[in-house]
Amino acid sequence: MTINWIGLWTMIRREIQRLARVPIQAVIAPLISALLFIFIFGFVVGGRIKNFGSYSYLEFVLPGVVMMNIVNAAFLQATSQIYFQRFQKSIEEILVSPLSYVEMIAGTISIVILRSVFTAIGIMLIGMAFGAVHMHSLPEFLFWVILVSMIFGFLGIIVALWAKTFEQLNVLVVFFIQPLSMVGGVFNTVAMLPPWLRWMAFGNPFFYFINGLRHAMIGFNEAPTAIGATLTLTLAAVLGSIVWRLYAIGWGLRE
Amino acid sequence: MTPALEISHLRKVYKSGTIAVEDVSLTIQPGDFFGFLGPNGAGKSTTIHCVTGISNPTSGTIKIFGVDAVADYRNARKLVGLSPQEFNVDPFANARNIIDWMGGYFGMRASERKKRIDMLIERFDLVQHASKPFRELSGGLKRRVILARAMVNDPKLLILDEPTAGVDVELRMDLWRYLQELNRDGTTILLTSHYLEEIERLCRNIAIVNKGRIVRNGPKEEFFTEPGGLERAYLAATGKAADHAAVAAR
Repeated sequence: MTINWIGLWTMIRREIQRLARVPIQAVIAPLISALLFIFIFGFVVGGRIKNFGSYSYLEFVLPGVVMMNIVNAAFLQATSQIYFQRFQKSIEEILVSPLSYVEMIAGTISIVILRSVFTAIGIMLIGMAFGAVHMHSLPEFLFWVILVSMIFGFLGIIVALWAKTFEQLNVLVVFFIQPLSMVGGVFNTVAMLPPWLRWMAFGNPFFYFINGLRHAMIGFNEAPTAIGATLTLTLAAVLGSIVWRLYAIGWGLRE
Repeated sequence: MTPALEISHLRKVYKSGTIAVEDVSLTIQPGDFFGFLGPNGAGKSTTIHCVTGISNPTSGTIKIFGVDAVADYRNARKLVGLSPQEFNVDPFANARNIIDWMGGYFGMRASERKKRIDMLIERFDLVQHASKPFRELSGGLKRRVILARAMVNDPKLLILDEPTAGVDVELRMDLWRYLQELNRDGTTILLTSHYLEEIERLCRNIAIVNKGRIVRNGPKEEFFTEPGGLERAYLAATGKAADHAAVAAR
């Protein structure tokens, strides 16, 4: 069976057209939030914190800020796209079309990755203005941006298929994503934590995402990157399979 | 000849336990103009949803021009165009985009889409409204957009679920003419409607569904040879003839 490239591209350009209608929510808001994080934690507070090896506190914090925004952008993109289409019933336009389930998912995840990459680029440009951007390894950087976007894109799809109300869309963000990302090492090293709390960092998947991106950007590493990369690949594969199965059985999609 | 649509023992039970369709079997020959009648909640839309992929059938088989609509859903979908009863679109998108996106999902190239969309916009008198957001259009114009969207891929089987509900007489007459043209050119059409005159005028074969089951099915002439014609046959088949007679006697 050949791939319906035109159908896939249509899913992407349709979503770009929708995002163009809400530029403040899609583009401006994450950049302002990142700017404030960089300014307060990196510049104002960070100015009083000692350097991490050869890097300033701002250079240490920036990868964490980028990762937090990638996670948010990916999750929000997937939930808003799928939930709104379900809410308006415009998802039926895709269901009646000759797109395969894999193509439907690929179309959604492609735009999730695009939005995350653009958000990351925007924050990096802000970081550049503060002289805090480094690139230790571009392939590693792309690996973390794309894989983490996919993970939170898949999670966003699952939540959007499950949710019956707008309120339920926020459950995962409030109780899981925000707390775990905050304690995942955005602002501190594991060594700064009391020894009895360190196990919590190593058991937190966000720690590996942030640690991986930090290694890609400044070469600073607190855990073997291979462990994080394996965990991330496994998570992406498992969540991707779950989403494929949900599409195949029509859970939350078809009556 | 391979039927345009062959439904065998279709059953659909919703999660709530409601049996929407019970053992529906139906065959529509290529080139037919088929009327699907029944009261609200009888199972017409659910049957259509199962054919087009909006609903999962609980059991039974559906074949579109011999292609299994569940096992080989991609090839089956290519053959169908659907104008649903509800407006299932992004209300902030404009008419041209709505039609264009559907053409894109069907894999139509940009030049082919443009040609087809221009023709449909002209045909449905949407030229002045093509750039307006869907939510700003009147009910009749919204219906035209939905009809144009259903036809963008030039389907071999066109399914119209109450396409003239709430539209003015002018559009209704114009749509009837267009559907007859399409049918003459070989498009098979499945039409549901509450307007018996519409079914009477357009369709060659008619099925009546009630409480999820097909209760009558046959050529139009069969219904007209009976006293009282289609209306009487419909009321009898749906079990409303006695109520109707009681009201008439008052």
